[in-house]
Amino acid sequence: MTESGFTVDVDQNQYLPEGGREVSAIATVTSAADAAGLAGPGPEPEGSAEIIIIDCSGSMEHPRTKIAEARAATAAAVDVVRDGVLFSVIAGTNLAWPAFPADGSMARADAASRAAAKQAVAGLRAGGGTAIGQWLELARQMFAGYPATLRHAILLTDGKNQHESPEQLATAIRECEGVFSCDCRGVGTDWEVNELRAISTALLGSVDIVPDPAGLAADFAAMMQSAMGKQVADVALRVWTPQHATVRFVKQVAPTVDDLTGRRTPAGPQAGDYPTGAWGPDESRDYHVGVEVTPAGVGQEMLAARVSLVANSPSGAEVLGQGLVRAIWTDDEALSTKINPRVAHYTGQAELAAVIQDGLEARKQGDEETATAKLGRAVALAHQSGNEETAKLLAKVVDVVDAETGTVRLRKQVEDADEMALDTRSTKTVRARK
Amino acid sequence: MTADPGAAGTCPLCGAPTTVSDSFCESCGTELSPPMASTAPPGYLAECPVCSVDPEAPPSAITAEGYCESCGRKVPSGRDHSELDLGLLAGVTDRGLRHTRNEDAMALAMASVPGGPVSIAVVCDGVSTSPRPDEASLAAAQAAVRTLLTSARRGEDPAEASLAAVNSAHRALARLGSPGEAPSATYISAVIDSEAVTVFWLGDSRAYWLSTGPDATRLSTDDSVAEELVARGAMGEAEALASPQAHVITRWLGADLAEPRPHGVRFEPPGPGVVLVCSDGLWNYRPETAGLAELALPAALTDPLGAAAELVKFALDAGGMDNITVVLALFPPVPAEPPHPKTVPVRRLETLPRRTAP
Repeated sequence: MTESGFTVDVDQNQYLPEGGREVSAIATVTSAADAAGLAGPGPEPEGSAEIIIIDCSGSMEHPRTKIAEARAATAAAVDVVRDGVLFSVIAGTNLAWPAFPADGSMARADAASRAAAKQAVAGLRAGGGTAIGQWLELARQMFAGYPATLRHAILLTDGKNQHESPEQLATAIRECEGVFSCDCRGVGTDWEVNELRAISTALLGSVDIVPDPAGLAADFAAMMQSAMGKQVADVALRVWTPQHATVRFVKQVAPTVDDLTGRRTPAGPQAGDYPTGAWGPDESRDYHVGVEVTPAGVGQEMLAARVSLVANSPSGAEVLGQGLVRAIWTDDEALSTKINPRVAHYTGQAELAAVIQDGLEARKQGDEETATAKLGRAVALAHQSGNEETAKLLAKVVDVVDAETGTVRLRKQVEDADEMALDTRSTKTVRARK
Repeated sequence: MTADPGAAGTCPLCGAPTTVSDSFCESCGTELSPPMASTAPPGYLAECPVCSVDPEAPPSAITAEGYCESCGRKVPSGRDHSELDLGLLAGVTDRGLRHTRNEDAMALAMASVPGGPVSIAVVCDGVSTSPRPDEASLAAAQAAVRTLLTSARRGEDPAEASLAAVNSAHRALARLGSPGEAPSATYISAVIDSEAVTVFWLGDSRAYWLSTGPDATRLSTDDSVAEELVARGAMGEAEALASPQAHVITRWLGADLAEPRPHGVRFEPPGPGVVLVCSDGLWNYRPETAGLAELALPAALTDPLGAAAELVKFALDAGGMDNITVVLALFPPVPAEPPHPKTVPVRRLETLPRRTAP
């Protein structure tokens, strides 16, 4: 580990054939297992702010256990908030209002404020519509009133965004980008996977289905626990490339696939920043970086990209670690045609996520031929890469005839929850061994 | 030797007077003529040779790893091209045009002893398929030249010293390696005293005796598949060198070998000439002795460094497919004397009995 507590390891085949332009590498970013070894302000409680956004629309009463479990889950998450951390609870319907503290401020966590919050949450009743953009906007305004750098929200809904336009939601998401991160949970099966995925992707959080409300409390507590461990805010992957080179893509590929290519912000000459959110101790994420360079002669070597991990703060950018992506042109075909196993693995995992989403979409549209082909390909990819979790989810949507070749039949009867679980978890990848 | 001991000079460190037979300063103990190797001065060129050609472009920084901050190209390091000049012997090594680094290494030394100067050269070519071949070649060459120089100063037998040097190089590689990692290199040493040239080798780096007379000859035989095919009479040299297996070496120096088994020869030149020690980056383009003699002579007789540079340039012009190392050493190792009075007409190439190093 470096002094900052972060390392960036690059894995690639650096050899290109004569005239070759495309360089591809996996950058693994790892943080120190020990919190004390990490750069940044440290886990100072006043640096963190948490908001729990809880759906109180009328449908949360059907069945009645939903709102009851949501209240219990919120209480469980409140219990995990560390002393000194700022927190609040937002209740959302077709409006959004502060459930705790009632004046719209944020409370500093201690035994008394946690008890008061739980009491307020216990009084929440369901009724009204769903306008998620409004909820996000209120959270953004609350965060903006405090100087905390680690800002995180948990959003729970059970329904579609029916009481505002898709544009209103998109605008709200855009406004919140970079202000706070957000983990999204859909309870039941009446919500829209694409809506929550749009939020979680833009706000650098996770998305998942909680089919049974009874599972909410444990999930909420775990999410809050993970948020409490975050220590370094606003971390970006900075990619430098040589003159006349272009970045083809930058994707997070583990633990989930997340395409960051379009999220670039300029960072000085020949460099751009791609957001990675906040980091805690003992985390490891893999990024797939693709660069196109101007070829040099055989025997020449070039730095095709420098991948740095950068913590942005008002006082400037601190480089936490860096790795080098190289290009060496050779006329030795044995070298240039060698496929790097980790690059291949993650190329497959990204395709896996894409064919699952495409296949489910085709299935919804009634295009069974495309759905069978795409989901069959997904079964083969999941099988070959050892992604057992995804393989299990796929087997609930298709009958697998032969996993190796990806021969499948669509199931006539598929539980909504199984289909939504496959969709939300399609981006989960398995780690490539080094 | 007729040199006046008093005229030898002074210690470069403390300024005390020295004599030609001094290996170390009698006053402060500084080594007076230490061996030289093709080590890189640390760091890289200060500016990018590609970007600096454009007068409009702003000067760009070079990163600690040696890349241009603007165009990303790796800039040359000191090891890529290195020249050593000890007067009576000189060497040039170059990365060539197709490899990204120079895995060849050379080390030269000159011993001043009562019998006259002794020139010492070691050339190693890192085995590309082994780990860290560039470190292997340099470590082997540096260890060997140190042993050869110490032995020469003590007046020990060159053949015995050469075997000991192979072992020193082998131990250096063993220190460099680790379980499962065996950095490897070819090895060739030449010790040139006033009577003979003693050459020991493992692999396909070569030594030649070059003169204008008919006595010019190759001194080493490659430990390679090609050479074995030729030796067995299976193929002619040209055909063997063109075969896909030509460059597979059958002996080398590596951390994973229990004991090195070098070949060696002692050759008494019939008259003045030069000893050429080189890696295959040169001889691939001109394997025959006569052809090499034509390229090197007569310039090498008066300017070993200039002639070595010319031979490297020849290999680069021919394609520079491999790293190139050329060392030229005068025989006899005596500076600018009138033609050698020796009139022994017979060319004697005596193969030493093959033996395992102790």
